[in-house]
This record gives sequence, C-alpha cells and structure tokens, in this order.
Amino acid sequence: MNIVEIQRVSKRYGRQAVLRDFSLAAGPGERVVILGPSGCGKTTVLRLIAGFEAPDTGQVLLGGQPVSRKGRILVPPEARNLGMVFQDLALWPHLTVRGNLEFGLRARHVPRAERTRRIRETLERVGLGGLEERRPAALSGGQQQRVALARALVLAPRLLLMDEPLSSLDLDLNLRLRREILALHEALGFTLLYVTHDREEAFDIATRVVLMHRGCVILDGSVEEARRRLRDLGRDSS
Amino acid sequence: MSRRFVLALTALLVFVSGMLPVLSMLLRSLRNDDRWSLAAYRGLLGSAHQWALMEHSLVLAALVTGLTLIAGVPLGLLLGKTDLPGRRLYTGLFAVPLLLPPYVLAVSWADLLGPDGLLAGMAGPGIARATAQWLFGLPGCVLVLSAVFLPIPMLLTMIFLRTVDPRLEEAARLLAPWPTVLRGITVPLILPGIALAAVLVFLLSFGEFGVPTFLRYDVFPVESFVQFSAFYDFQAATAAAAPMAGVTLVLLLMEAASLRGRAGQLRLSGLERGLPRIGLGAGRMAWAAATAGLAVALVLVPIGALVAQSAEVAAYQEALRHAGDSLLRSLVYAGIGATLLTAIGFLTGYLVQTRALAVWRAVDSMTLFLFALPGTVIGIGLISLWNTPWTNLVYATPAIIVLGYLAKYTALTSRISATQLGLIPASMEEAAQVAGAGWARRMALIVAPLARRGLAAAWLVGYLFSLRDTDITMLVYPPGHDTLPVRIFTLMANGEPALIAALCTLMIAASVLPLALLALVPRLGRDLQDP
Repeated sequence: MNIVEIQRVSKRYGRQAVLRDFSLAAGPGERVVILGPSGCGKTTVLRLIAGFEAPDTGQVLLGGQPVSRKGRILVPPEARNLGMVFQDLALWPHLTVRGNLEFGLRARHVPRAERTRRIRETLERVGLGGLEERRPAALSGGQQQRVALARALVLAPRLLLMDEPLSSLDLDLNLRLRREILALHEALGFTLLYVTHDREEAFDIATRVVLMHRGCVILDGSVEEARRRLRDLGRDSS
Repeated sequence: MSRRFVLALTALLVFVSGMLPVLSMLLRSLRNDDRWSLAAYRGLLGSAHQWALMEHSLVLAALVTGLTLIAGVPLGLLLGKTDLPGRRLYTGLFAVPLLLPPYVLAVSWADLLGPDGLLAGMAGPGIARATAQWLFGLPGCVLVLSAVFLPIPMLLTMIFLRTVDPRLEEAARLLAPWPTVLRGITVPLILPGIALAAVLVFLLSFGEFGVPTFLRYDVFPVESFVQFSAFYDFQAATAAAAPMAGVTLVLLLMEAASLRGRAGQLRLSGLERGLPRIGLGAGRMAWAAATAGLAVALVLVPIGALVAQSAEVAAYQEALRHAGDSLLRSLVYAGIGATLLTAIGFLTGYLVQTRALAVWRAVDSMTLFLFALPGTVIGIGLISLWNTPWTNLVYATPAIIVLGYLAKYTALTSRISATQLGLIPASMEEAAQVAGAGWARRMALIVAPLARRGLAAAWLVGYLFSLRDTDITMLVYPPGHDTLPVRIFTLMANGEPALIAALCTLMIAASVLPLALLALVPRLGRDLQDP
C-alpha cells in the first residue's frame, strides 16, 4: 500500500491555478524528489500532504485513508503522523533544542523518561549530542538544519516531507548534509518526499524523480529518465 | 537640508516638547525660596493620606491590568487568529471606548446604573441605589477603566500575532492541535506584546484621574491636580507629580530590561490573508454570540444609555449653546495636533527604523516614556517650563495645548510610522539615491508615498488621541481656549444629566467623524484596512 497518494488534485489561489490534475504516489521507503523551477507548485504539494491546505478537487490519502478531499480537511495536520523540514527551518526561537524536540512528544503525551531517551537518541543520531540546552540562535547554520531534521524525526514518522531544506547552505555543507539525510533514511526507513529546484541535489537524493512544470507532472520516473528528459528539454529550448 | 540635520532637529523637538518640561518640573520641585529643598517631598512622604492615595492608585491599576489581560488577550486571539464571523466589526466596536475620554464612559455607566439612570427607571430605586453604590467606588472604576483599556491588550495581541512567522505555527500544527500550539508556540512568541500591553494599561490606569474623580474614588494623580488648581501650590503639585514619573520610569525600565526592546521591533510577517487561521468549526456561531454579548455589555449598552439620556433636541441645543465654541476648538486643535504628530512621528519613526542617528533608541524610549507618563505630570511640566514672561507667546496661546499633544502622543504616530516603514524595502530609497535624488526628494517622492497608509493611520490616531485629551489640556489651556472634553469635565459636577449626556454624545460624534469620512472616501478606507 502507498504511504502517500495524491489523486487528481487541483488547487488555485485566487485566479492563479497552482496545481492542475496533479497525481503522485510514494510507497514505503521510497525517496521521491519533486523537481521543478520556482513557482511550479512544488511546495503546495507538500502543504496539501501536511494538511495546511485542502485541494479544490481530487483527494489526498495517507496509508490508504483519505485525509483531505474537495476543499475539506478530513484529518488535521497533527493527526497525520508525518514529519516536515521547512525551507526556512521554522525552529521555535523561544525554545531550546530540547524544547523544539520535546514539543511534539509532549503533545502526544509521551512519558517523561521516554521523551528524554528519544531526544537523546535522535540528537546523537544527527550529531548534536550535548547541545540540548542551546537556543536555535546560538547554533550554526548546519546545526540548525540538523535540529530541524531531528525535530521532524523524533516522532518516528512514516513519511518525511522536506521543502528545499538545503537551499540556503554553501556547497560543502549541502553535500555533507545530503549524505547524512541518506544515511538517516537508510537507518530509519521512512518514506521521503523531497522538494528542490537543484538538479544535482535531486539526482543525488532520489530513487524516483517527479518533474513539475506549471502545476503539472511532466515526468514521473527514475533518475536516469529524469536526466534524459531534462537533456532533451534543454536541446529543444536551445 | 541634510538627513542628519532634520532628524537631529526632530529629536531635539521631542526633547524640548516633552522631556524638558518634565525635567524642569523635577527641578522646580526641589527649589524653595531660591534654595534647594526637599521640603515638598518631606510633606508628601510624611502624609499618611498620600500613602493611602498611592495605595488606591496601585490597587486600581493592578486590578484593571489583570482584568484587561485576562479578557483582552483571549479576545485578541479570537479576533486576530480565528475565522470568527464579523471579527472586523467586533474589533472596531471594542476599540470605541479607547477613542473617547475615559470619563465619557464613566458618565455613560452612571446614566445606566446611577441613582437617576435608566436602571432606576426600570427596576426601581432600591436596585438603582445598590448598583449606584457599587458603581461609585473602586468596583465602578475598575469596570469603566477595564472597558476603556481592554482594546490595548486586544489590539497589541492582534498586532503581535501578525509578527509571528506562520511557518513556526505550521511546524507545530504537524505535532499538536491548535490549543496546544497557541499555548506552547504562539503566545510565548507574542509575550513582548502582552508585556507591553500590561505595562501600558497599568501606567494609564495609574495616571488616570477623570474617572476616579467622577466616580468619587480618591487616587494619587488627583492630588497633583488639586494642589495646582485648588491651592495653586506649585511646589506641592510638582512634588506630587514626581512619584508618578518615578513609577512610570521604573516600570518601563523593567519592561525594557526583561524584553531587551523586542516589544518595539515589530516585523510584520506578511499579509493577513497569508496567516494561518484557526477554524472554529461547529462552535463558530456560539463564539460569535459570546463576543457579540461582550461587545453589547461593555460598549453598546453604556453608550446606548448615554444617547437615551440625551434623547431630546433641547438637550443638544443647550449643549451647543454651552459648548459649541469648545467643540469647534477641539476639532481645530485636534486637526492641527494630528498633522504635526503625523509629521514628527514620521520623522522619529524613520529615525528609529533606519537608526540614522546614534540617539535613535533614546528618542524611541523618550516618546514611550512620555506616552506612559500621566497627563497631569506633563501638564504640570509644561506650566513649569513655559509659564514665564518671556515665553508667554506660547503659554498664553493654544500652542501650549498642541505642545502637550506632541509631548504625549508622538509615541503612537512614531511607532505606526516605524512599522509601516519597516515594510518598505530599503532598496526603494537606495534606488532613488542612486538615481541622484537628495534626501528631501527621496522622502517626499518615494518613502512618504509608499508609507501613505501608515501616515493616514497615524493622522487618524493622532486626531483621536488629541481630541480625547483631558488631563494635559485641563491644566494648560489658556483662558477662553478650553476644549470640549475640558468643558464637559468642568460641567459634570453641577450640570444637568441630559446636558452632560448630550455633550458626551457630541464628543463621541466628533471622535467617529473621521471614521465616517473614511467610509465616504472608499479608496483611502480600503488602503487603511488592507495593510
């Protein structure tokens, strides 16, 4: 069964159509990268899956269950059991690293001892052991990225959404964090839905690539197929 | 003229109009027969009566602050964060009492619950006696001032909600339902706004003397006024004003130290339509009904009682005969005050936003201090500085009233301007600079037009607060130049209830006049509503 499925979804903001008859599915453990230029609707796809927006038409399913359909959100975001890393990270500035990770565990009434254990394990996994009491502002850019990743993973979600998480980093750090994301995926086995406009980043992360253009899917295939299509498009346009 | 020169001149003007009078007052309180003396303070501090008054003021301010926070913050969340139907209408309704001189609301509650009020006519004198007994005293003062200052935490909550990055809430929404997100993320992030609201409400309640005077509850700010106007003991008046300046300074310093200036640095996160709103779902209509009930109880019923009390043409004819000239003066002075407040607020807002001079923080703190300072203190300060044979040109003319407006209300127009200017990318002005435009041209042709919404809002706020001012004007107005709030206040002691009610209704009409004009100029109205 697919972990996530988007069926013939359309979405408009005012007069502007952002998604048109968009469909996508991802199975357990897949690493699907949505690749496309700015403004093509990539982030909207993630926001529909997260439950921040409802589709105008079509439906979104998680684990085979409809979670939103035709303008209605059937399952609120907090009940969807997914993790998300935002483009600007969205770390809560008034909370420490521990506080950022603990927020979701508390909301799910995880006992204190269990919370402490999971926070410690997750932070060690992303290489942030010992920084629990720091505030986000006191961390470097790379450390902040890792906190955002740890916050998303501490609840052991089946699905992880990442919205251009590495776009603001220099190339060295970008490459290092790609490796770490792949290692975490290997170890934890979640399904990854990753949005980027960077081709090399996409090909590095993906087991499958979805190419988007103006709210439509123009290709859903392997990394090789995506490379070929992009080459062809480049030739056509030149 | 260079940018530095104009901004330095503006900073100097803020200092001369507000701080210099306060400093002059403090100095005068320490002089006796051309010698330095603490006699006035010894008299003040040695009096058990003064301490009792101070206790009354502090208790009143604490109760009003607590009550307005308990009601105002949730109300701000409801109106600023949810899909409550009619939230714009409710926001306007709850804000009305803040636009009026506080004692107008006290009069309106007296018209409802007082011995000759509407309730007395309906429920009989026994009930009215009980409600009047309750109203005239501490509970009545708490009720009236809470209704007057409720909009402060409500509006500051709504404004600060717009500074919260929506992504921070969305990140939390993946993990928890809205109530948990509000408790754990949103409210902590807007704490600087709530703390600022608490400090402002406390200081404004602490410095208020119109409502306690009308409702016969003795408080400390009355002392300064009485010493000056009844006994003309200027040294005692200045000494009585000094503790209020001290309390204001201490509280603002505490707020600044604990928040490190975060309350003053508003960065709006985006357009309102982009902010995540909480769907109230099936309870939407119940919430709307509860909000409507509160608005009716706190605003519409007392103002309705006021209008009902004055519902005779004769009362309005009498009111215009008694105070028509005061009404006209009020409109003119408020218009002049608002225009100058807008210009100075724009320049100080620009100074604070761009930090073009090293004194930007001092100017910002000075305006906030003066806004929080009781009006009586500023009034006494203005008299202390300007009442000399050489400065009669200012002191004996309405210019002294306008100076008082500038001293007290620049903080409002400055912060509105600074927030609006913060939304304009610096590159806009830089592009004009690269194109060869001097500073004055850049301000006139680029920055000011881009900030026009903020300027219009600043003018409106400046007009409303100048119009409602009682404390300063009451102390400084030259003979023959009283304003409507002052005339009503002086007539309140012996005037006919119908006449007072008619005057208060005229005051309300004068306050909503520019709002009505806005409704008639649809484009400007849209501009102001759509930040």
